[in-house]
Amino acid sequence: MNVSAVITGLGSVCAWGWGVEALWRGLETGETRIGEARRFNVEGQRTRVVAEVPKPPRAVVDAHSRHHREWCRLSRADRYGVAAAVEAWGDSPWGAGLGLPTAEEGPEIGVFFGGSTAGMAEAERFYARVTGRTAGPPKLNLLTSFQLNGPGDAVARRLGAMGPVETVSSACASGGLAIGAALEALRRGEVSVAVAGGADSLTRLTYSGFNALRAVDAAPCRPFRADREGLSLGEGAGVVVLETPEHARRRGARVLAAVVGTGASCDAHHMTAPHPEGLGAAAAIRRALADAGIAPTAVRFINAHGTGTPLNDASETAALVAVFGDRAGALPVTSTKGSVGHLLGSSGALEAVATVLCLHHGQVHATPGGGTVDPALPVAPVLGAALPLAASSDPGAARGSESGSEPGSETEWIALSTSFAFGGSNAAVVFRGPSHPAGER
Amino acid sequence: MSAGFASLEGVAITGLGVVTAAGCGRDTLAAALVAGVPLARPVDRSAGWHRPGGSHCAATVDPKSLQPWLSPMAARRMSPPSRFAVVALRRALEDAGLDAATLRAGQAARPTAVFAATACGPSSYTERILEQIQEEGPEAVSPSLFTESVANAPAAQIALACGALGPNVTITQREVGPLLALRRGALEIAEGRAEQVLVAVVEELTPMEHSVFDRFGCLADAPRPFDRHRRGYLAAEGAAVLLLEREDVARARGASIKAWVRAALAAFDPAASLSDYSRDPTPLAAALARGLERAGVEVATVDRIVSGASGMPTGDRLEGLVLRRVWGSATPSGTLPPILAPKGVVGEGGGGHLAAALLAAEGYPFGPTAGFATMDPELMITPHDGGSLPPARRLLVSALAVGGAAAWVVLEKGEG
Repeated sequence: MNVSAVITGLGSVCAWGWGVEALWRGLETGETRIGEARRFNVEGQRTRVVAEVPKPPRAVVDAHSRHHREWCRLSRADRYGVAAAVEAWGDSPWGAGLGLPTAEEGPEIGVFFGGSTAGMAEAERFYARVTGRTAGPPKLNLLTSFQLNGPGDAVARRLGAMGPVETVSSACASGGLAIGAALEALRRGEVSVAVAGGADSLTRLTYSGFNALRAVDAAPCRPFRADREGLSLGEGAGVVVLETPEHARRRGARVLAAVVGTGASCDAHHMTAPHPEGLGAAAAIRRALADAGIAPTAVRFINAHGTGTPLNDASETAALVAVFGDRAGALPVTSTKGSVGHLLGSSGALEAVATVLCLHHGQVHATPGGGTVDPALPVAPVLGAALPLAASSDPGAARGSESGSEPGSETEWIALSTSFAFGGSNAAVVFRGPSHPAGER
Repeated sequence: MSAGFASLEGVAITGLGVVTAAGCGRDTLAAALVAGVPLARPVDRSAGWHRPGGSHCAATVDPKSLQPWLSPMAARRMSPPSRFAVVALRRALEDAGLDAATLRAGQAARPTAVFAATACGPSSYTERILEQIQEEGPEAVSPSLFTESVANAPAAQIALACGALGPNVTITQREVGPLLALRRGALEIAEGRAEQVLVAVVEELTPMEHSVFDRFGCLADAPRPFDRHRRGYLAAEGAAVLLLEREDVARARGASIKAWVRAALAAFDPAASLSDYSRDPTPLAAALARGLERAGVEVATVDRIVSGASGMPTGDRLEGLVLRRVWGSATPSGTLPPILAPKGVVGEGGGGHLAAALLAAEGYPFGPTAGFATMDPELMITPHDGGSLPPARRLLVSALAVGGAAAWVVLEKGEG
């Protein structure tokens, strides 16, 4: 079995607000935050709904702009990433409690980020000006943080990371792949601490593009439902602070959960459509479980890619059936995208945060959206209200100890998070967390 | 191992395909490097937002040069960088003595991973979508343009072209991305997750992008790496694809081993600004020295440097000072080994740098460093003057990025 990495900090920005508390409070409601678009004009679009991040609280702006002069030069996506990373890193309720590193500690810290839009929203404003569509001279400062490495680099500069800094942009699998890269770096001893996550902001380009593909639902997305018609776009960031178990133990850090395995694959089938039998997705899941040394029977719930597009949900379900067999029909499955929309390259990162929160609170959040579950999809989405894990009755489930995971695992739950992308890139991450609600500890 | 360094064993490079302004294939690049003249072509200055008196040239790819390796029917479904990537893939497999069908057939037992690097992705398609939104409204956006506008489209097209079922990862870390992709690919093999990996570097340059770089004051039509009067870089596009194989797999099929990937380091200097390089070489010099030591590579055994110097005043300065510091501390004389600066010929972007590094490892001759005339007294570096050099046994390939990232790879001479 490969060595795991422990998670000691979480941070998020999403349509529910700035911070992990806002995310969990929102997920607990079982409602969706997807609503009418306000950020930009959707005149002429087929659809009008998105999940926009609200304006940051004054305290957030003050905290960042006062302490870091770069803040005003960052793109919206950069700011989401930095805010989430600072929350995960620092002395916030969900933070790892790590101070800024010394010159000796800096090289032991790496940043692994995923994303797909970076400064595109700002670039769109530049382009409109340079082509004369909107008044005013083009401003180069709109492009200062245009490139895709913008959010990850901004996080590294803010936290003083001096180890490897790597941005992955493999469309919607980016966040999951970034967590995989972080885990590998920790395992090989390159770094002791890895900040893994992703950040993206809404843009006209992605909104128009997904509408052009007829992949956006006119209503808030309804993953796994019979009448689902597509995804809903969202924005924000998710960050986890990963450490080697030794490093966390040495400094007496609070451990929230662990990343125990990751897997990746490619469909090599089509540029946008997933493989109809979910072959690539299943391969990624199998590799992640093998990497963790965990049998499929140990998995307690799944935070699915669950976009709500007819093709994705069918393909993903096929993959789950291929890996979990008949048990797929009883395994609790949720889709965070139903609540906060599809964050594209950073979706896997935010869903990692949501998965850890589910483990921490001992319940799987519900997948919002009305309508009946598609009878053609033999899965068991959590609907209506959160499902307490202790009460979930999955006859096929086995605790981690039965699968040969680390000592003490009989008191632990295993969760799986999946991310699938344009171009057929697939990622899966396996998490382990304590099998009792936070209130009981 | 620690602090961003990985020591590698048994990772062979067995194939190279390259698309540059010089043409398609290693021989066209090799000839350009011997000539030592920038691969500059005129750019369309009417299509962007160029400043008066700014740059007029870039190392752009002639689309006609792709035609022998990519049919028009296949090309029409791809963005320009995807076309570059697929042609480079085909040339790389040819170079490695493999074909796509053979690679495809072996996927069940041996899934091939793809690690790609790009800075901006398929820019022309992104610009066309923005134009469609502005001119005709969002409903006019072409789905096929959108599909191919994502940064990972070239990596996906590589996988489609050869059926690669392994991980498919696109790294976007500006100038450092190519070495990070090579690093990840080599680690994939060294750590037992793959037997064969395709490492791809791909970039497209549009007139609009060129004009923006020009407005930022980054460009020079005649770049002068390390020269005292350097003013900027030659923007470039193109692709390079390398086939990496586990040693036993390469040997079993009788492949020619062109080079070994011996070590790979990545680091970051958080003191860099968002839009420039760091002024202080100390952190990156420490990272490079520590990394080489921990990988078991003695500085004195490195007998060639393939620099990432492009002619950027601050970037070349930082790289030169980092190298000076490391060699100054680790060797009695502080004398640097011969330094190649191929970006003077191939420009910045598109994989020419990485491809040139492999050619250097294979012992190909290099001409004089393009544009170099006067030594910078702060750096005291005279890059290669075009004279005869003994074959290199161990090469350090270096790349630093605006914003703080850095990566180095150590290559060793192969057996081909």
